[in-house]
Amino acid sequence: MQKIIFISIFNIFLFCLIQNTVVHNVYSQTITPDIKEQLITNIASRVAQLKLVEKRGIIGIVSNVTNTQITIIDMQNNTRFVDVDEFTKFTSPASKGVYGISDIAKDGTLGILGLYNKESRRILARFVTVVSIPKVVRGGVASIDDKNFTLDVSTIDGKRLAIDIDYTTTTYSHTLQGGYVRSGFSKIKENYSIIASGSLDPKNENKILADRVLIFPEIPFIPKAKSQK
Amino acid sequence: MKTEKVVLSFIAALLGLLVAASAFYFFQITKKTPAPQTKIVSNITPTPSLVPSIYLDLKQPKDEEVVDDKTITVSGKTGGNAVIVILINGIENVTTPSLSGNFSTPLTLANGQNIIEVISVAKDGESKSILRTVTYSGEDF
Repeated sequence: MQKIIFISIFNIFLFCLIQNTVVHNVYSQTITPDIKEQLITNIASRVAQLKLVEKRGIIGIVSNVTNTQITIIDMQNNTRFVDVDEFTKFTSPASKGVYGISDIAKDGTLGILGLYNKESRRILARFVTVVSIPKVVRGGVASIDDKNFTLDVSTIDGKRLAIDIDYTTTTYSHTLQGGYVRSGFSKIKENYSIIASGSLDPKNENKILADRVLIFPEIPFIPKAKSQK
Repeated sequence: MKTEKVVLSFIAALLGLLVAASAFYFFQITKKTPAPQTKIVSNITPTPSLVPSIYLDLKQPKDEEVVDDKTITVSGKTGGNAVIVILINGIENVTTPSLSGNFSTPLTLANGQNIIEVISVAKDGESKSILRTVTYSGEDF
């Protein structure tokens, strides 16, 4: 009886040994270079994902400020959360003295440079600067006021804006034959396509004080429905 | 008699074991392991619809990018007959794409944040624009 038990145990042990060897051989044969490459790619991709923080610079309009956080609406109309700490530097070209987070006002425009965390989607600000964004208008010339040197422009989003042309405004035109050449107020005609940049008139929010104007004499008035942003 | 029994049982067990092992071996060899389910990730680049006569695809620069070189390249693809106007902080640069619609222009950045607006204007008056914020900074942080 003892011998039968001994033989059975020996058989089981031998069977396990053989099975282990065979399985090992079979699986080691299935790891092809393709799978190996795929594994390396997957590992590399995971490592890349772990690089969570990167430098980023954004511009936005302040919607809320606290001692440790600034909430802004960025250029793509997204709400962004910016964290500030003791290493964050604040600057404003208009400020002569020390400028800090307490000087930041709602609706002000800020440029933020800092470390963006891809997981939390927050920026840890290192440099916060007050910036001014030029107003860019594109559309078609609806009417011209020769006396006041003002253009009435229909914008692509269906608004009407007045463009004030000053003696400091630089005007250029672009044609297929002539290319990009210097132009002037007198060359501007109704129905020309126009791109103007400048700043909003503080007294009239529907008026742009133009710094630069670019006209396209060969391109007709931009239809409202067709142009896309 | 007793020894014979033991030897016979041992040989029988060994034979059985060998048969079982060979069967298992052949099973493993002939077994088809399913191919690993790899997820195919394809970068879908927005292809322009045929409906509008103008499209604009901006390859460079990336939005919110921070660079330490003042010169950057603005490149992309648009309609072959369009005019490309690139505004950096409101100052325009005009260029025309190649016949295939590709364009690439080196431009100089100002210090700090730069708002880059690329506008493609077609002959029929249609236009499309893309806005990017690019920061020039030599600061190490």
